[in-house]
Amino acid sequence: MKFLLLSALLVLAAAAEPDGKLLFTQNCSPCHAPDTKLVGPSLVEITNLYGKNPDGFVHWCTTPGKKRPETIEMPSMAHLGEENLLAIRRYILKISKGVVEKMDTGEDPFATAPTLVARPLVQRIFMPNAGPAAIAVAFDAKTSLCWDAGVCRLRYAWTDGFIDGYPYWRGNGSNLAKIVGKIRYTESVSPFGSKTPVAFHGYDLIGGLPVFRYSAGALEVGESFKALPDGKGIERHFTLTTPPSGPLTLLFPGDSKTSIISDHGTLAKGILTLTPNEARDFTLTLTFR
Amino acid sequence: MNPLRFITLLAVSATLHAAEWTDYFEFEKIPMPAGMDSQIGAMQFLEDGRMAVAFHRGEVMFYTPSSRSWSLFASGLHEPLGILPEADGSLLVMQRAELTRLRDVDGDGAADRYETVFDGFGMSGNYHEFAFGPVRDKDGSLFIALNLASNGAPVQREIRGAFSPVGELTREQMTEGGDWKSRSEKAGRMYSRVPWRGWILRLSSDGKQLEPYACGVRSPDGIGFDAKGRLLVTDNQGDWRPTSPLFAVKRGDFLGHPASLIWRKDWDGSDPQKIRPATFAKLYSPAAGLFPYGELANSPTQPVPAPAGAVPADLVGQTLIGEMNQSTLVRVLDDEVGGNFQAGLVPFLDKSPLGIGNHRLAFAPDGSLYIGKTGLSWAGSTAITRVHWNGKPFFSLDGVKATPDGFVLRFSEPVDETKLTDIKLTCHTYPYTARYGSKRFDEQTLKISRAELSNNHCDITLTCGPLKQAYLYQIDLAPLVAESGNTLMGKRASYHVARVPQ
Repeated sequence: MKFLLLSALLVLAAAAEPDGKLLFTQNCSPCHAPDTKLVGPSLVEITNLYGKNPDGFVHWCTTPGKKRPETIEMPSMAHLGEENLLAIRRYILKISKGVVEKMDTGEDPFATAPTLVARPLVQRIFMPNAGPAAIAVAFDAKTSLCWDAGVCRLRYAWTDGFIDGYPYWRGNGSNLAKIVGKIRYTESVSPFGSKTPVAFHGYDLIGGLPVFRYSAGALEVGESFKALPDGKGIERHFTLTTPPSGPLTLLFPGDSKTSIISDHGTLAKGILTLTPNEARDFTLTLTFR
Repeated sequence: MNPLRFITLLAVSATLHAAEWTDYFEFEKIPMPAGMDSQIGAMQFLEDGRMAVAFHRGEVMFYTPSSRSWSLFASGLHEPLGILPEADGSLLVMQRAELTRLRDVDGDGAADRYETVFDGFGMSGNYHEFAFGPVRDKDGSLFIALNLASNGAPVQREIRGAFSPVGELTREQMTEGGDWKSRSEKAGRMYSRVPWRGWILRLSSDGKQLEPYACGVRSPDGIGFDAKGRLLVTDNQGDWRPTSPLFAVKRGDFLGHPASLIWRKDWDGSDPQKIRPATFAKLYSPAAGLFPYGELANSPTQPVPAPAGAVPADLVGQTLIGEMNQSTLVRVLDDEVGGNFQAGLVPFLDKSPLGIGNHRLAFAPDGSLYIGKTGLSWAGSTAITRVHWNGKPFFSLDGVKATPDGFVLRFSEPVDETKLTDIKLTCHTYPYTARYGSKRFDEQTLKISRAELSNNHCDITLTCGPLKQAYLYQIDLAPLVAESGNTLMGKRASYHVARVPQ
């Protein structure tokens, strides 16, 4: 009986001490793991920082800030109180003893996902030098382009790769995708002029490649692309389901690195002039120099 | 306490059945498609029993439970966070830039038409401008919810939509470049400089007509209709949010975060950052429920009503809500005061193998609950867990009703009378300020003057004195056991007294 009573009292005494493991699980474990950085630093790193500094630990937890630019600010744990925070610290020190931190290699673990390596490929993501509603298109291993659904126009084309989306995908979207390869063509203005109101209607996939649908003023436009072999350029096909009533002039100022020819109408000084009939369906060939 | 009595108590406790959630639910990890980033943005079951799942990197796939197989329907979407199957077999998907209808026109099993249904909202390019929904009401209208931007980042050089001049920083100062950190504080912790950020939008059934429906949300990563047809929205703790709230949203509501007010038609153009909180407090439609931060939930997600067969009969129709940071879901107990919804929130599947990152919930035709996980660099996880009720009833708090001076609690089975005096009741309130989160104010342990059991022993009436408006009451039921010896599953209720019953 005495032994039982003693055990019971010990249980009571133990219960009076805050349960560092439970507190850690409830308040810290979503963001902190023993051997890897999750949202916040690993327990190994926390031990390095605060192993000999309990006051510093409590101070940080009650008035936290942001130490690493790539992470979010830790929420205050002031509501737990000093005694509980110290119990959490003891638990952290205990379970990180002898643990070695696994370092993040910075490489995309899903870079070879079947849906990312497929060609052709359409991928919406935050892109450099474009609006936030941009769309990246990979034709083949060589040629890619960026079409902007916010302003309904081609922004640029490049060769020798597609995008590295990992800067975006590894986090919450606070970084843009990176272009892999070399920009070969940049378009400065919509063919329909910068003042013509546009509305994006979406795209159809034909053979995996998009036909962008949009309206530009009163015109209903379909715009699609093909890559020339070996990254030599792109073919750009327009269809106007509501042809204009008179001659149509479109802007193709081009850039110094690309030559542009049209299979219909006359293209001179960056202006393509088409008869209403020619405007129904025409193709431009952009050859990278 | 007399030592002998203490030991007797210990002995009695040992004979009780300390139930675990695994006594009632099976937990199973769903095999995910090989090599893919399995952070789940959206999930919904189709009538044919397949589940449509949207992934972080933009894939939409179908999962067939019977064969445990996956097939690709669409890819390349920008952070899809909501999905809604339509009667004709197409899917509505909310991505960052637009609400899109995915159609399989040629019938080969993969979408070949990505049709823009609605893109009439602004994008500043700020990472925090997530887009949620759509959900459809019984009349066919669609509802979407748009996040505010975060001052963790500026806006991009190119934006979509009008830029509001209202704010301390000019467009140029808000734009990336230079030392953003040195000016970010002046942007407001969360900001709305392009249209409809911080709004719930109602769209006509075809998506063509926009009605700005309610404003004042911050990061509403949970939107859904409950079994009674109320539009529920969860939001996240942060600035103007001392703790995470649950709203039943009505047309014209202002839900507390002021940044979005500038897009109201009747707004006078003044900067919400410069207005005293008391002014907003008058406009604020209070939350139906509050999730005490760090205790019940930190970052609540999608609300979904539990169908028949998924849970014991008495819980059918109750709303379940996901939670990112803690290994739990939240179950909503309905109450109504003066015609307004008020909620008691109870942990569900807490301390179970559930894990964290519980982002999207979808009930299968067989009543299984599929839970899709994500993290997006915040606290979270990946992949899908399936939870299936084994049909055994369990001891649960099934209802709560506020009274002028306490609460009536309804349980699933008769309660052991000897434990009533061990129920604990506390309450606290929160300040309404621009500060990011808040500690509790005026926290009190309340004396329960009476705890009475009904004739059938299933209801407990707690009397604690007059309830106080805008206080969160926490009822600690951990010591309760059923007459059968069952322990309680979900041991506390958090009840926000938005209004005191008369």
